[in-house]
Amino acid sequence: MRESETPPSQGGRAVLRTENLTKRYGDLIAVDGLNLEVFQGEILGFLGPNGAGKTTSLNMMCGLLKPDSGKTYLFGIPVDGKNGEMVSRVGVAPQNTVLWGKLTCMEQLEFLGQMYGLPGKEVRVRGEALLEVMGLSERAHKLASTLSGGMQRRLNLILALVHEPDILFLDEPEAGLDPQSRVLVRDYIKLLAHEHGKTVIFTTHNMDEADRIADRVAIIDHGKLLTLDTSDALKRSVGEGDVLEIDLFGQELETAMRAVRKNVSSVFLTGNTLVMRDRNVIVSLPFIMDVLKSSGLRLGEVRLHENTLEDVFITLTGRRLRE
Amino acid sequence: MRIMGVFRKNWREQRRDLLLISLVIIFGPFFVFMYWFLFAGGSFTYGLLILNEDRSVQMGDGSVLAAGEEMVVAMENLTYAAGTPLLKIQPVSDLAQAHNLLRNRDASALMVISSDFSSSLKAQKQKEQPVSSSITFVGDLTNPYYTITAALASAGMEQYIERTTGQKQFIKIIEEPLGTSSMRTEFEIYVPGIFIFSLMVLMFLVAMNVAREVENGTLARMKLTRMTSLDFLVGMSLVQGLVGMGAVLLTFLTALACGFKSEGSLWLAILVCAIACVSVIGLGLVVASFSRTVTHAFIIANFPFAFFAFFSGAVFPVPKIAIFTLFGHTVSLFDAMPSTHAVNALNKIFTMGMGLNEVLYELISLIFLSALYFAVGVFLFKRRHLT
Repeated sequence: MRESETPPSQGGRAVLRTENLTKRYGDLIAVDGLNLEVFQGEILGFLGPNGAGKTTSLNMMCGLLKPDSGKTYLFGIPVDGKNGEMVSRVGVAPQNTVLWGKLTCMEQLEFLGQMYGLPGKEVRVRGEALLEVMGLSERAHKLASTLSGGMQRRLNLILALVHEPDILFLDEPEAGLDPQSRVLVRDYIKLLAHEHGKTVIFTTHNMDEADRIADRVAIIDHGKLLTLDTSDALKRSVGEGDVLEIDLFGQELETAMRAVRKNVSSVFLTGNTLVMRDRNVIVSLPFIMDVLKSSGLRLGEVRLHENTLEDVFITLTGRRLRE
Repeated sequence: MRIMGVFRKNWREQRRDLLLISLVIIFGPFFVFMYWFLFAGGSFTYGLLILNEDRSVQMGDGSVLAAGEEMVVAMENLTYAAGTPLLKIQPVSDLAQAHNLLRNRDASALMVISSDFSSSLKAQKQKEQPVSSSITFVGDLTNPYYTITAALASAGMEQYIERTTGQKQFIKIIEEPLGTSSMRTEFEIYVPGIFIFSLMVLMFLVAMNVAREVENGTLARMKLTRMTSLDFLVGMSLVQGLVGMGAVLLTFLTALACGFKSEGSLWLAILVCAIACVSVIGLGLVVASFSRTVTHAFIIANFPFAFFAFFSGAVFPVPKIAIFTLFGHTVSLFDAMPSTHAVNALNKIFTMGMGLNEVLYELISLIFLSALYFAVGVFLFKRRHLT
């Protein structure tokens, strides 16, 4: 695994810790010795290709699946067997929409609240608030089966929140949502973590989603944790880097290119465009501009393509299709 | 071409769902085998009790005529063409014992040979002053096997009399119905079985409801809460129990509205159904244990449904395959099914007008088996889906 360059943004105490978490299905090692620490108030994005072991990891962390070896500690307590107090501090929104089609939205919230041992009145108050936040108030007394796919996804999420857990496991929370709903859910997850101190661990295939909301990103492939760091740190340190393109006019193009190479790892000319690729190439921009001006070149359009999380992901996991 | 395409697609899907296709294929052969097994390869031997009160007499030539005993032997020698006996003769010493066996359906009919049977035959043979005697058939008229057994015994008796006296049957035949069985209409005879049949349908509901929770992932969601296995199973069972009792009450009201009359206590009958309901819920849980989808649950449930409904005697009486005797009761192969005891108890209550003491054996057996089935269902379901 690549070492983290930066400490977790939230600091604080580790809410979740896994030690050599391993799960096998026959010859397939779905999760291979996962070691992870997640801190209070942190949002951790769990990324990986299909079949990389994300959901299996999540299920073991929340206690839904028994590992073959290794341990998970939640709030310092090992996850093995049912601990009532611990259960009440964990919320899980599964990948598939898991609802009772013949219950209304409010009835589902009331039922789950009751299963967590909460008083009925308290559950109703919380339920109303959650439905309001997710724009489902008007549907509170409609059967879940009559809701649209997006509404069902939002209800699926708030069912994990009815008991106000301290840690949330969200398996692809933005899947199946329209852009408006995605923004709503994204903002709410941020609010939960950064304003209410909840810890959120989510899986996703959406790099943009991870980039926007995760404090740290863990990339897993073939059951192994490949890297764990902030999105910015990963973009700076993994992949081919940012690409800076400058259109130039003048005679000394080759000379300028050679001069720029002293500070930038990859430089080449395409016609009259100077293409420079380097991790965090923007830091070298003042030097590049000086070189180009001193070469007597006139500058045209300047274009910057930043290294994305997807570039990082593809660099680490490759382009080969999975599953 | 497209037909072949659809054929190939369906064939591939079918053979990849081995459990379901196996059940469908095995269903018919299994029941064929069971019926062959029950009816001894096609020749069923009917149970006939004989209370022989006949006193032997001395004939004119000094020989002794024990007509009662001879006729019993003649009956024992009645066989199917293949050699299988037609009647299984069981001698009894008193009427109370015989009535008890008839009520429990351990035998189909009782034949009482009167004390002057030999005297009557002697008089007829030696052309003396006729002596009147009688043969009495006793039985539960609601038991379809009674009619067949009585008819076979009657034919055997006629053959014996003709062989012994050279004359056509002249003995008076009396028929005594057991309890109020003669008062029961055809409709009333089938009602007790329908109660059990309607209860057995509950198994589908239990199995499919629980399998739905598994299939939808909602059971996994519940497992993440503080809910215990006990919470889930008891809560679910209570609802199913209520539905089952609702079905029983509605069936009962419909039967009453259609003219059904019970000779015994209705509350006792409802108690029997309530206990049987627990066993059906247990069976539903067993089915759900082996199902991951609602479709699986539905198809798998057909197997125990048919088995328990048919072989408990709910639809039509099934022969008893005795294993051992317990407290004077013959324990047969199908007594391992709670529905068998429920059907027997309901028959006794509805038809014979029997009370709690007289159905105590059935009730205790039912309670024991229902608890056992429920416990097995809970154990399997917990193991498969709740741990």
